[in-house]
Parts: sequence; structure tokens; C-alpha cells
Amino acid sequence: MKVLAAGVVPLLLVLHWKHGAGSPLPITPVNATCAIRHPCHNNLMNQIRSQLAQLNGSANALFILYYTAQGEPFPNNLDKLCGPNVTDFPPFHANGTEKAKLVDLYRIVVYLGTSLGNITRDQKILNPSALSLHSKLNATADILRGLLSNVLCRLCSKYHVGHVDVTYGPDTSGKDVFQKKKLGCQLLGKYKETIAVLAQAF
Amino acid sequence: MALFVVFQTTFFLTLLSLRTYQSEVLAERLPLTPVSLKVSTNSIHQSLHLQWTVHNLPYHQELKMVFQIQISRIETSNVVWVGNYSTTVKWNQVLHWSWESELPLECATHFVRMKSVMDDASFPEPNFWSNWSSWEEVSVQDSLGRGILFVFPKDKLVEEGSNVTICYVSRNIQNNVSCYLEGKQIHGEQLDPHVTAFNLNSVPFIRNRGTNIYCEASQGNVSKGIEGIVLFVSKVLEEPKDFSCETQDFKTLHCTWDPGTDTALGWSKQPSQSYTLFESFSGEKKLCTHKNWCNWQITQDSQETYNFTLIAENYLRKRSVNILFNLTHRVYLMNPFSVNFENVNATNAIMTWKVHSMRNNFTYLCQIELHGEGKMMQYDVSIKVNGEYFLSELEPATEYMARVRCADASHFWKWSEWSGQNFTTLEAAPSEAPDVWRSVNSEPGNHTVTLFWKPLSKLHANGKILFYNVVVENLDKPSRSELRSIPAPANSTKLILDRCSYQICVTANNSVGASPASIIVISVDPENKEVEEERIAGTDGRFSLSWKPQPGDIIGYVVDWCDHPQDVLQWKNVGPNTTSTVISTDAFRPGVRYDFRIYGLSTKRIACLLEKKTGYSQELAPSDNPHVLVDMLTSHSFTLSWKDYSTESQPGFIQGYHVYLKSKARQCHPRFQKAVLSDGSECCKYKIDNPEEKALIVDNLKPESSYEFFVTPFTSAGEGPNATFTKVTTPDEHSSMLIHILLPMVFCVLLIMIVCYLKSQWIKETCYPDIPDPYKSSILSLIKFKENPHLTIMNVSDCIPDAIEVVSKPEGTKIQILGTRKSLTETELTKPNYLYLLPTEKNHSGPGPCICFENFTYNQAASDSGFCGHVPVSPKAPPSMLGLMTSPENVLKALEKNYMNSLGEVPAGETSLNYVSQLASPMSGDKDSLPTNPVEPPHCSEYKMQMAVPLRLALPRPTENSSLSSITLLDPGEHYR
Repeated sequence: MKVLAAGVVPLLLVLHWKHGAGSPLPITPVNATCAIRHPCHNNLMNQIRSQLAQLNGSANALFILYYTAQGEPFPNNLDKLCGPNVTDFPPFHANGTEKAKLVDLYRIVVYLGTSLGNITRDQKILNPSALSLHSKLNATADILRGLLSNVLCRLCSKYHVGHVDVTYGPDTSGKDVFQKKKLGCQLLGKYKETIAVLAQAF
Repeated sequence: MALFVVFQTTFFLTLLSLRTYQSEVLAERLPLTPVSLKVSTNSIHQSLHLQWTVHNLPYHQELKMVFQIQISRIETSNVVWVGNYSTTVKWNQVLHWSWESELPLECATHFVRMKSVMDDASFPEPNFWSNWSSWEEVSVQDSLGRGILFVFPKDKLVEEGSNVTICYVSRNIQNNVSCYLEGKQIHGEQLDPHVTAFNLNSVPFIRNRGTNIYCEASQGNVSKGIEGIVLFVSKVLEEPKDFSCETQDFKTLHCTWDPGTDTALGWSKQPSQSYTLFESFSGEKKLCTHKNWCNWQITQDSQETYNFTLIAENYLRKRSVNILFNLTHRVYLMNPFSVNFENVNATNAIMTWKVHSMRNNFTYLCQIELHGEGKMMQYDVSIKVNGEYFLSELEPATEYMARVRCADASHFWKWSEWSGQNFTTLEAAPSEAPDVWRSVNSEPGNHTVTLFWKPLSKLHANGKILFYNVVVENLDKPSRSELRSIPAPANSTKLILDRCSYQICVTANNSVGASPASIIVISVDPENKEVEEERIAGTDGRFSLSWKPQPGDIIGYVVDWCDHPQDVLQWKNVGPNTTSTVISTDAFRPGVRYDFRIYGLSTKRIACLLEKKTGYSQELAPSDNPHVLVDMLTSHSFTLSWKDYSTESQPGFIQGYHVYLKSKARQCHPRFQKAVLSDGSECCKYKIDNPEEKALIVDNLKPESSYEFFVTPFTSAGEGPNATFTKVTTPDEHSSMLIHILLPMVFCVLLIMIVCYLKSQWIKETCYPDIPDPYKSSILSLIKFKENPHLTIMNVSDCIPDAIEVVSKPEGTKIQILGTRKSLTETELTKPNYLYLLPTEKNHSGPGPCICFENFTYNQAASDSGFCGHVPVSPKAPPSMLGLMTSPENVLKALEKNYMNSLGEVPAGETSLNYVSQLASPMSGDKDSLPTNPVEPPHCSEYKMQMAVPLRLALPRPTENSSLSSITLLDPGEHYR
């Protein structure tokens, strides 16, 4: 029972995060067994690659939609307002083993997932008429969820990794509107940059 | 009463003593100083919150006090606001007061102090201000956290048109900071080295998502960062318009208004304005859930008057509008129901309806609208509950739509919605006689009368016309009337009447009855009057006709014409006192000729043709040009004619013709004028003003010159279409003379040739017979040349032609038959071979008289044979041998050569000779006289000459030159008679 509480539950929480996930939450691995609900697909790595490619293909469009919807000064000051200066963003080591890369990928996807959730929530309130942006944000979050599930399956089935320390994206709920816009833009700029590296690495 | 006075006196004494005590106590404790002043900030509202207490306040006592508050910014001496705050203070009460700063509190340190004074009427003057409290400093800059640049206020909500102050705090004074509003730089006032404030006056509404304002810190060209804020500018809340309330059932008041602009902002910064309904008499309030209407439940039947206040409110402003009304004056009835029609006949109907009952003794005003036949009639009626209205003067057989609406008759507020229904009146007999006219074609012995009538209008038909009755009555011979029923919708019928006067009555009938009769009389000779046709001109698709008034009793005039291209007879009735009318119809087409006939109608209903007029509603230019023929072309003139051109079937009255003539000469001919064509070229033009003049002689032309002409008719609208010019070239001046000479000559030559052909035989015999006259022959000259003294010419008539036989050598030498290549075998050669040069006669079948001669130098065998007889020459026999002599040159050569051979060069060894008859020599040169067509001499009495010819010469090889092989030798020395 302790095992479940300490290992599986946090994983499930990560898999089914909701908008507004909070500050970084370190999940300390405990010597728990790796448990997954469904058998993993044989072709997991291909699926992961495909999902990364799909995200990479749509990242720039999402970025453009976002900063356009924020109004001036964002479209004309991308380097100053939307530069990838995101603190606590999980690193990625492209030269590592597949296992290490998958663990890094897992952390990044969790971080991006929570951040996208915050951005989607904020934009639905701030820009209720920007339906195209909302749709793109939702689609990206959906793919990220699927990718996270596949990465978890791979880690669990092949490398028996059941626990990964993760950090979540910054909580923007207390920020003013301009800061929310800026943080969202920075996050999406970072996302666009990172997802390209990830797609290349796998 | 005494008790009351005692009590009152005691009360006043007690009160006076208490007052005296209070004054003494307060006088001892004054002044009342504010203490424990604490100042806090509210960043959201950008306000300072003050709280304090009042020292020395008596226990359980309330005093009215005034607090003067001073607020300084940056330093205490910089007082930015001073104000009084009045309130009632209790003992030990903590007082609160807020002040909203226009400058964001984060951008400057604020200082606050206050003093107080008692302002209570229960204490007499003088009152003294307390001492100032100590300055309280408020600064939030220290809590800004890390960062080099901060912009304030965050997410501020302001109203459109208001003034806003923003500011930034820059940590590093080395940085150059520029701020922008929607991309446009703004300039501010530096409050201290780190802080600059910007006053934005009358901020505009840009979007409901807020306005980005940002500042960029930079050193040189290096940007150190951008920070910004979003300013939410709300539209100004408007006062609700057209606020009103009404009831349909005295249970619910339905209030409506026009809300105006929605002031909602994004980011949930401000929702749409809310609306609250407040009724002051009852004191009830209701928050409306819709932005433009609200229902209010009427709970008290006794309340007749309502005072409603509609309050519109958002975060920034509150607006209200008020109405006061009596409930019975705001009755908006529900629409009537059970609308029905009773006793509907041709012209009347009764309309009934019901109204939803409101209250007892309620009177309703109802309005009825009747729509039918494109007209609308309106009636007002006052009713109680059940409404009824008698609709009269309706048209028969007509569908009507009637509707009704009602309102409170006592206090009209507004009409209810309409309730309506359709109904149709019954039919009635047609009310008017049909308009009838006729056309008459007179034929020997009878008239063909075609009756036309116009359908009755719906107004007069009073129903559906089923048939027309036509009654024909002979006026000259009283007899039974003839009735014809013609089913509708026919509008004509044809009658064949004898030459009597007839009266024709036409009635239209529907299901109810017949119309009045329309009567027309056909006289014995209806169309005998010769009337001259007059031309008229139409304008704008109309014809104005006028005619001379007719003496006598005329009950009216009729103008008829035919529509084209339908060829339908149309007519118009005109009153007896009118002698002009305008015929106008959409059927008139430009370029179509219309013929109008004007009739006068006598009292006996007999129509008499008065005038004829013809014209075009609009004349057009001719649509085609005439086909022009060129006649009588001479060297100086030609005639153009276009007799076949019809002037009648044209889109306008032909007024004449234009003849265009082009020539190389610049000058136009007499009667022609210079004209410029549409293509810019010049030509000569001749105008013919008479449309019936369809020929033109163009004269004074030059011989052997080319002319081009073009003929086009013209109407008042213009000329005919452009067409190509036709070219005419005048002939040479002498050519006619030559023709006069050459033609007879040719005729004569032809005649001679024909005669010659017919008499060719005679000519031949006369001029060049087959057997030439030796006396005329050229041979004679040769003979003369040889100096033969014994010149004798045989008379042809005396000569009997005969055959010459040539006998081959007995040794069986191979002999070639002249003209053939057939070789004779030895066996064959054992018999003598003969060559027949001249047959005695054609188709000779038997032996005839002939002369044979022998020459014993010939083959003995041949001579032995003693053959002498005539052997006919087959027509197929080769004439080669004879043909050898056809050429006179050959003859001469042969004579020159063989003459010598015959005298001395014949070898002794020759045992075979050929003999050639001179008769066979065609010396005349007539080729036709060859054996194929030999002359048939009557007798061959003698042989004139014979000579031996070496076989070598006589029978040359076929390959040799024929001139050599065909030798006929006539040796004068051996010429025998």
C-alpha cells in the first residue's frame, strides 16, 4: 500500500494532470515496482518518434498564433519577450543512453504539459475569441499526454523505471496579465526550441 | 394633566444637569488627538488604508469629529493631498479611512499624518484642532523583489476617457528606459532617479482584452529587458434607454429596456453590466438575469401605482433610470382569439372574435383591418368581451383577409398583436355588359363577322365567367333568333351572315346569372365606304388620333387596330363628344406599322368607318437595301433600278433613296453632292425624294472608267444598313461600233462554214477531185522538163482501173509482201504471187474487164500460168506499196535514181522484176486517193507504162528507209500507150 502511495499515485497524477498544476514537485523514487495498467505497444519508439515529429511540425505555428494573439509588443520583440529564458526547465542530454534520454524526455514532457495547461487556461480567459489558438493548445496538450504515456511505458517495460523526479511548469495564477503573456510566450519559445532537439535526438 | 406637567419638568431638569456635567468633563479632557495611526497599502485598488483611534474619548460617548488628513509623496514636505474626514466616534473605536492614489503606490513613498477637531453641536464653541500626529511612512518598493525594471499599476481597470498615471521603477539608473502604449512611445515625468511617472489623459478603449503598455530598459543599443502592464479600459456604462413596463394579465409586469454598450472586458476583469429592478413603494428589488428585460411579479392586488428604478452597474459606474406608472395604464392585451365569419354572402359578412378577459367591466377598443382586392379598410369598434362587426359593401366572389387587434379602451397603452383569418364572399351576376367589337369580311353573298369581346374585369364579373351567350337576330327577315353559347375563356367567335342586317347580343354568364347584353348591329353593307388612309406619327410608344366629328346621332366612336406580331384585334371605345384619343399600349413595337380604323357608332348600333390612319409608334431605319440592277451600260452612262423593292414592309415610311457613287474623279457629277461615308471616305450622293422612283440614270460618265455605287432607302429614322459598293466599269467608246461590225462578220463566216460543210462533197469534187486532171497535174511540168515530145495525157474518164499483179521469182526466193512481214514458204511460192495495186471497184465480187499485159522477162512460171483476171483487193490489204509514192519528193528521187538503173544498171542476172502500175501512183498528192478509197474507173483499157525494177529496189527490207523502198519508176522512154 505504501508502495502504491509513494510510486504509482504520483505517476498517475502526472499522467492526468489538470490545468493549474502547481510549483515544482519532486517525486522521490522509492524502491517500488514499475506498474502499468496496459501492456505497452511493441512499436513504442516509433510512436514516440512520430509524436515528437508531430509536435515539432506544429510547434512553430503554435508559437506564432500565441504571440500574435497577445498584441504589441510581442510580435515585434520576440527576442526580448519570448526568448527561451525559462527557469527550472529540465535539461536534455542528447548524448546519453536511450534510457537517460527517455528519462530526460519524461521530465521535459511533464514540465511542458503543466505549462501548456496554464497557458491554455490563461488564454481562454484573456482571449476568449482566439479559438484557433485554443484549439492548437489543446491539440498539443493531447499529443503531449500520449507521448508521456508512451515514454512511461517504454521506461517501465524496458528499463523498469517506475519513478522519475519531475518539475512542473511555473504557476502563473498569481502573476499579472502581462507577466502571464510573457511567461507563456517564453515557454512556447522554449518548447519550440526543445521539441526540435528532441525530435532530432530520437 | 398635573402629573404630566410634573413629569415634564423633572425630565428637563435632569437633562439640563446631565448636559452641564458633560461640558465640564469634556472641557477637562480636550483636545482629542488621533493616535495609533497605521497605514497599509492595497495594490489592487492602489489605495492607502488608514486606521487609528481617538485618545481621551469619554467612555460610552459618541462624538462627531472631523479629521484632517495630509498625504505627502516622496518626502513629507511634498503634500499631495489634504482633506477632512467627518465621522461619529465612539469610545475605543478604531477608525478606518482609505485614499486611492492616482500614482501607483509602488512608485513612491507616501507619508500620512492627521489631526482632529470635535464637531459636535452639543458642545459650544470654541473647538480646537488637535496636534498633528506623527508622519507615517508607507513604501512598497522594497517588496518588489528581483528585477531591473518594474511597471505599475498592474492590470488596472479604468473607464474610457479617464486619466491614468503609470510609472516604472528602474533599479539601475544607468539604464535608459523607454515606454510605449500600443507601440507608440510615451513621455513622462521623472519623480526620482529610479522612478518616472506617465500621465495618460483620456485613455481610449482599444479592445476588451486590454491595452499593452510596456517599458524597455537598455544601455546603448543593448536591451536589458522589457516589462509591461495590461491596462483594461472599459467602455463607459450607458444609461438604459426606453425603459418601460407593462402587463398582459395583471400578474406579471414585463419590463424592457435598451441596454446600450456591453462593458464586459476580457480576463474576467469586468463582466457585463448588471441590471437591478427596484420598486420604491414596495421596497422590493430584483436582480435581472437578462440584459434587456426583466419580469416583476405582481403580488399585491391593491397596488396600482409602481415606481420602478432600473439600475445598471459595472465595476466602475452605476446608472439608473426611473419610471412611475399606474398599473391599469400599462395594459398590453393578449391578441384576440376565435376569429370567425358568419353569414357570408356576396357583399356582406359578420366578423366575430373574443378577447382575453382582464378584469370586470373592462372595455376594449378593437381595430379591424379588411384587406381585399389590393385595398385596405379599417374599422374601430368598442367591445366588452365578445367582439362582432358587420362587414358590408364587400365585392362578390372576392377573398378577403380580416384581422383584429384590441387595447384597453379606458387608458390606451398599446395595441395587442393581430389575429386574423381569410374568407371569400359569394358570387353575383356579372354587373356589366362585355365590351364587344367585330371585324367584317365581305364576300359575295355573305359577310364573315368575327366577334371579339374583352373579359370582364374581376370587379364586374362577380365570379367566374363560365360562358358567353351570343344571340344573332335578323333585322330584315323576322325569324327566330340564333343563340350560341361559347365557353369561357374564349374571347371571339365567327359568324357567317347573309347580306341582311343583323343584331348581335352578347352576354357574359357566371354561376349566378347573366350580365347585361352588349348589342352590335351588322348592316347590309358594313365596310363599303372608301376612306383614304392618313399617315400619323407615334411618339413614345403612343398614337394620338383625332377625327372629324360626324353629323347625326352618334353614340360613340370605336378605334380598332391590330397588335403585331400577334395580329389580335384591339379596340377602344370613345365617347360621342370626343374626337380624339391617345392609343397607348405596351404592345406597340418600334418599327412596326399599325393601321387604325375609326368607326362611328350610330344610335342603331351600326358601326360606320370614318377614317383610316397608319403609322409607326417609332420609325426605324430600313432594315435592308434594295437589290439594284445595272441596265443600259454605255460608255457614258448606266441605269440603276430596284423595281422589286417594296416600300410597304419596312420599319418606317420610306421617304426616298440615297444613291452613293464613287469614282476616281474628284468632282461629283451634276445632280450629285459630295458626302462623307462612315468610314471617312468621300463619295458623291444623290437623293431621290420619291419612294416610288426606283431607277436612276447615271450619265456623264467617262468611257473605260470604273465606278462604284450603293443605293439605300431612308426613313425619318435614317438610312438603311451599310453595304458594299457595287462596281461598274464603262466600256470603250468604240467597242459598240466594233460589236456592230464584228457580229455580222462572224455570222457570215459561220454561215459560209455551214454551207461549206453541207456542200463539202460538191466542193471536193469541184475543187480537188480524187482523180486529178492530168492536164493540170504538176507532173506535166516534169515531163516537160524531160523533154518528152510524145506527151500524152490519159483521159481519166476513159480509164478503167485495173489490177497490177506482181509475180515473185520462181526460184522460191523468199519474198516479202509489201506492208507485211509475213514470209512465204516455198510451197506457197510455187504459185505466182500477185500484188494488186488498184482494185477495179469496191466490193467487186466477180471478174470485170481488165487489161493484162505480159512481159516475158518476168518469171517464166508466172507467165506460164497465164493468169489474168481480176482479183479484188481486200480493203485490209496493206497499202504500203502505194503509200510509198505518196510523197512527191520520193517520186522525184526515185525518178532520178531509177531512171538510170532502168537504162543501164540492171544486172543481167536478174531474173525477177516487179511492175508498178502508174495508175497506182498517187501523183496528185491526194492521200485520200490511196487504195483504201480508190477511185473506181469504169474501164481499164490499157496499161500505160511498165518497167522492170530490180527486186532489191522494189522490195526493200522493211527496216530500210521507206523512201528507198517505195519507188515508183516512170521511165518516159518506156512509156507505152
